[in-house]
Amino acid sequence: MKFQEPPFFNKKYYYNIPGFKDLMILDIDYHSGVPIYRQIIDQVREQIMGGLLKEGDQLMPVRELSAMLTINPMTVSKAYSAMEAEGLLERRRGIGLFIVGIEPLRKDKAKEAHVEALLNKAVITARQFGLSSKKMQKILDELFAKYQADDRSLSDE
Amino acid sequence: MSDFEPIVKIRGLTKHFKKHTALAGVDLDIYPGRIIGLLGPNGCGKSTLIRHIIGLYLPSQGTCMTFGKNAADLGQKELCRIGYAHQEGQLLDWMNVEQLIRYVSAFYPKWNKDLELRYTQDFEIRMKDRVGSLSPGQRQKLAILLAIGHEPDLLILDEPASALDPIARAQFLELLLNIIQQEGKIILIASHILTDVEKIIDHVIMMNGGRIIKNQGLDNLLESYLHVRLTSIGKELPQELSFEKALFCQKDNYQALIVFETPDLDSFKAQAERLNCRVDIHALPLEDLYRVIMRSQH
Repeated sequence: MKFQEPPFFNKKYYYNIPGFKDLMILDIDYHSGVPIYRQIIDQVREQIMGGLLKEGDQLMPVRELSAMLTINPMTVSKAYSAMEAEGLLERRRGIGLFIVGIEPLRKDKAKEAHVEALLNKAVITARQFGLSSKKMQKILDELFAKYQADDRSLSDE
Repeated sequence: MSDFEPIVKIRGLTKHFKKHTALAGVDLDIYPGRIIGLLGPNGCGKSTLIRHIIGLYLPSQGTCMTFGKNAADLGQKELCRIGYAHQEGQLLDWMNVEQLIRYVSAFYPKWNKDLELRYTQDFEIRMKDRVGSLSPGQRQKLAILLAIGHEPDLLILDEPASALDPIARAQFLELLLNIIQQEGKIILIASHILTDVEKIIDHVIMMNGGRIIKNQGLDNLLESYLHVRLTSIGKELPQELSFEKALFCQKDNYQALIVFETPDLDSFKAQAERLNCRVDIHALPLEDLYRVIMRSQH
């Protein structure tokens, strides 16, 4: 695929790249101090775990993604290379980067580790506030009921 | 990535102005393909360093080579590959915008007219306005255009975006990204406004008191500092509390705020567990990091 020289300052262009039906929706916090390449990796991994990105999906090319996010192309390359080294992406010469080998991330173990890291903070706050494990359990159950997912089945059922 | 020769090569560069030492033994290599943020407090030598690179100052001691030539020997060939927009932005006020652009472009063997047209359109620069009547923001936009029109390989911007409004600033960042996509370019941005540049720079040079104190990749720099809050869940924290590699530690009876440089996280977490503490770890934004590094200099 041949890209035209992107015109200056015309973001609309990037939203209509022929051959890319989807944009990568990434929510980057530019001033958090977490390196941007880290944020890209984390969010792509999370999207794979959540089933938003699937095996065989193509990632936006470095140029386009860096233009869309207004970040240095080296930053995008760095994130992609790290994921490639990890075996999460496959470079097909002249075409682009594709998602492969997502099985490890789709395993419950990986998902659990991710959620556990999120819960860790909640639990330690509960401890600090003196809430019992029973109370926590109740909160969890209520939240689960509230966000009852009907479109994606629970994997342990 | 950069196996080739550095475009700027500085060795032992020292500059005295009478009794004042502006630069004290600077060593620096700058390779193409980078957007570099040159950061440091007022009067730390940023502008002096830049002026050596473009041949406006000559070293008191040491050497400063740009495109393989000493600062004193920079000729037309090298100077045509340099673009420079500086903070005062002295322009010829009595000309109109178009006249000034034609005047400046005449000095260069090549001038990208196409880029000029797109730029003036996108930044809403009116050709018939008198330069003297432009607002500070418009002047800055014009100064940037005059620095990039001849498509330099080495683009140096000294406080380039300070007067730009948020939209023009975003456009300006896009412009820089567009430039760096081309092979072999370097952009060096000296700025105090870190939030402007931290989005796009990939390399940081920090200066203080005429010396370079940090010279490394931005990601690498961000990852080597951590900000940690320790909150005791149970009893009071011990009076004597010390952590390895802590740069700063601020504490009261139950809480402590610590800034680490290249911490050993596992051993720290083990220590926190022994103290029965809650640990919140944050990254330090570049602006905070800058302050921490500058403070640790004293």
